Amino acid sequence: MRAYSRALFRSFSMTAEHAIPTFAEPLFHIGPLPVTNSMVVAWIVALGLIALVQAGTRKVQLLPGGLQNFLEFVVEGLHDLLEGIIGPEFVKRTFPFLATVFIFILACNWTGLIPGFATIGWGHATEHGFKVTTPLLRPANADVNMTGAMALTFTVLWCVWYYQAHGAGGAINHLFGTKGGMKGAAWWMLLPFFIFVGLLELVSIFFVRPLGLTIRLYGNIYAGDNLLEAMAGVIPAPFSAITMLPFYFLELIVGVVQALVFMLLCAAFTTAAIMHEEEGH
Amino acid sequence: MIPIILATETHAPTGFFEQFGVDWPHFIAQLLTMLVVLWVLNRYAYKPLLDLLEERRRRIAESMAQAEQVKQELAKAQEAREKIIADAGKQAQQLIDEARAAAQRQGDQQLQQAIAQAEALIAKAREATDLDRQRMLTELKREVGRLVVETTAKVTGKVLTPDDQRRLAEETSKQLAA
Repeated sequence: MRAYSRALFRSFSMTAEHAIPTFAEPLFHIGPLPVTNSMVVAWIVALGLIALVQAGTRKVQLLPGGLQNFLEFVVEGLHDLLEGIIGPEFVKRTFPFLATVFIFILACNWTGLIPGFATIGWGHATEHGFKVTTPLLRPANADVNMTGAMALTFTVLWCVWYYQAHGAGGAINHLFGTKGGMKGAAWWMLLPFFIFVGLLELVSIFFVRPLGLTIRLYGNIYAGDNLLEAMAGVIPAPFSAITMLPFYFLELIVGVVQALVFMLLCAAFTTAAIMHEEEGH
Repeated sequence: MIPIILATETHAPTGFFEQFGVDWPHFIAQLLTMLVVLWVLNRYAYKPLLDLLEERRRRIAESMAQAEQVKQELAKAQEAREKIIADAGKQAQQLIDEARAAAQRQGDQQLQQAIAQAEALIAKAREATDLDRQRMLTELKREVGRLVVETTAKVTGKVLTPDDQRRLAEETSKQLAA
């Protein structure tokens, strides 16, 4: 049986034994589905965003006020940013996913900084104090399943957008065809190289990019969580707040930067894919 | 994601995935969570707000175009007003000039008439004076003739005949006329 405890500001030594688990721990089951602590946080964030959006857009008015004004600021700001990168035509298709990715990641990252994450949960007493082995709440992006789901969704959508931009034949030609307008013998000589480059690009599209997106976000959030956990253990509580505070601000910035990086990388990959169409390939 | 799929389908060693807690149920659960958020945000935030922003942008553009049109119309109205005022001024000046000319003409005409009338009056007076003078001269001649006859009669002491009286009167008259 797990013992439930609250250990918000506990003394903690920086040893591997005290590191936060690399995976989300199951809390309970809904039928056959084990519900993890990161899933609970993802659902809380999702419900919070849904409630926020519903409240802000229940009565949309031409002269905005309050929450609608804030939502308009966010949506318009993101739209203008992405329009500048992707272009006015293609942003209509890509904006919903890219904006959602940014908002959802940011909300998950900042939610994970609320005191209580990773410090309230089930655990046991050790010679260094109480050790939480199964936190009740875990940042949603400190779970590879979450970051991987977003990266996979992007990869699928990227394929759809790529197909819409080039068509089936155009996509194959773009991936494997010779570039630079070569003809004749040069075309035939370089064809194997470009086919090889196309295969490498396929590896990049379906393996490197999604893996990079997944691990980068997961690694940063998980590392941030561990950093705060380690800082909490440098000096005894409640004075550990002094060592944690600078890193809280750092993690606030990391939360925005990682959300922005994920969205901008997706936008850059998409732009690179559709730009070829405009260049005449 | 390919390695995840391949690993699951082929039951390859899953040490990495186990270490990071990656499995299909959790993966799909998180995927569904994100898709639900995507759908809700798209349906209730992006679409209405972007439509609203577009509508606002359109209205602002229309308002600016209308303001520009009103400005142009105002400028035209101002120009027309100035033209009307200028025309009215010209017409007024023309009327004043015409009135002044008419008054001048009328004054000249009246002056000419007055001059003519005055000249006529002077001529009449002169004529009347001449007639009076003539009459007086005739009367004077007659009186002088009578006085000459009477004086002659008294001096000579004889009674003058009518012929003598007529002759004396004629001679006196001739001498007076000379």
